[in-house]
Amino acid sequence: MVSGQDRQHRGDDSMARAGRAAKIDGRHLRSLRTRQRIIEAYLELAAEMSPRIPTAAQIADRAGCSARSVFERFPDIHSLQVAAVDHAVTLIIPPPPRREGDDRQARIHAQVESRSRSCQIWLPLWRSLIANQGESAELRQRVTRLRQGIIDRLSTMYEPELSTVPEAERLRLLIILEALTDSESWARMQEFFGLSSDEARATWRQAIDRLLPPTPATP
Amino acid sequence: MTSASSLTAARPEGPASSRSEERIDRRRLRSARTRQAIIESYLALARETQQIPTATRIAERAGCSVRSIFERFADLHALRVAATDFTFVQAAAQVLAHEPKGDRASRIKVHVQSRAQVCEYWLPLWRALIRNQGDSQELKKRIEMVREAILKRIDMVYQPELADLPEHQRRQVLITIDSLIDFESWAHMREGRGLTVEEACAVWQYAINRLLPPTPFLDAAAGRA
Repeated sequence: MVSGQDRQHRGDDSMARAGRAAKIDGRHLRSLRTRQRIIEAYLELAAEMSPRIPTAAQIADRAGCSARSVFERFPDIHSLQVAAVDHAVTLIIPPPPRREGDDRQARIHAQVESRSRSCQIWLPLWRSLIANQGESAELRQRVTRLRQGIIDRLSTMYEPELSTVPEAERLRLLIILEALTDSESWARMQEFFGLSSDEARATWRQAIDRLLPPTPATP
Repeated sequence: MTSASSLTAARPEGPASSRSEERIDRRRLRSARTRQAIIESYLALARETQQIPTATRIAERAGCSVRSIFERFADLHALRVAATDFTFVQAAAQVLAHEPKGDRASRIKVHVQSRAQVCEYWLPLWRALIRNQGDSQELKKRIEMVREAILKRIDMVYQPELADLPEHQRRQVLITIDSLIDFESWAHMREGRGLTVEEACAVWQYAINRLLPPTPFLDAAAGRA
């Protein structure tokens, strides 16, 4: 049988445990928030300084924490880079817009609009990633994954046209479309050829239209 | 009349002076060779590490002293610029060795093959250059020169197809082909997708053929001839 005193003890214990758990949860939450701030600070600085990589001191300063806090969460800058790229991946490739019922020109227009927006926003970070991937298998893997994401999206958007050609030609076309609508291609059109955003988008639209096979007639 | 002393003073080609000129020539040659060895060591290290090598490592690789480097180059940046110039000369020679001639298919093939060769060989150095250009106006100017040379070549090789296009369309095709045959596009096919050199060339050939307008009849006839 449980005495009143025992019940009291048990009650105190569970309250203390709950208090400790809440304290740990609070600490854990704060730590996660700091981690997120560090990643965001890295992304901001990497974009500003592209293609150079920010130092731990600069990241800590921007995130409002100590350099020690940075290294408590990431063993080195390379791990932080990898985490930051993982965070950015979800933002770089937005889900494809609806295309059912859209004609060829409307789909080309929508895809070029959304790809050019991504390039505009993410170009500095992409440049930093390309320039600093070096021998890092993790970063190279992410570059490949990002490119594959873009290819998957192209594949969905231009399914009607791509479905008319053999598999090898389809793959070839996807590689070409991805290279053509690459961030560097966007940057070069503006920086080197001096095209406005509208002119650059028109160039992409014209090229995609030339590259794609004829659209099959809808039954 | 000329005195004996003035004759001696005026004589430029005695055995002693020719020996000293020979010595100077040999010294100059040695110095030029060391300069070249330094540039080549810099390039080899930059290719291997894709980083700017230190003076100590360059000297070690070139088999000279660090002082020898700075006797020939004011600083590492000056060496980088000289190495970049040397690279461009080498790459240009590689490209000019394959002159695209003949019909549309032959021109596309030769153009793609020579561009692929350049990308395959120079990609690590191009990446190192892009990454390490920093704020150097000299390096930025050289990057621009390379891009202009690539563009001029596209314009020259596909002149028959581009000549009759309205200016803005011609420019659009040029820009598109230029984007397509970029170093990173090559890297993606080779490193990212694991394509062989032949497969990657086939992708570029296919794309250029689709992007170009039809070849005028006269050129096609000239190509056959």
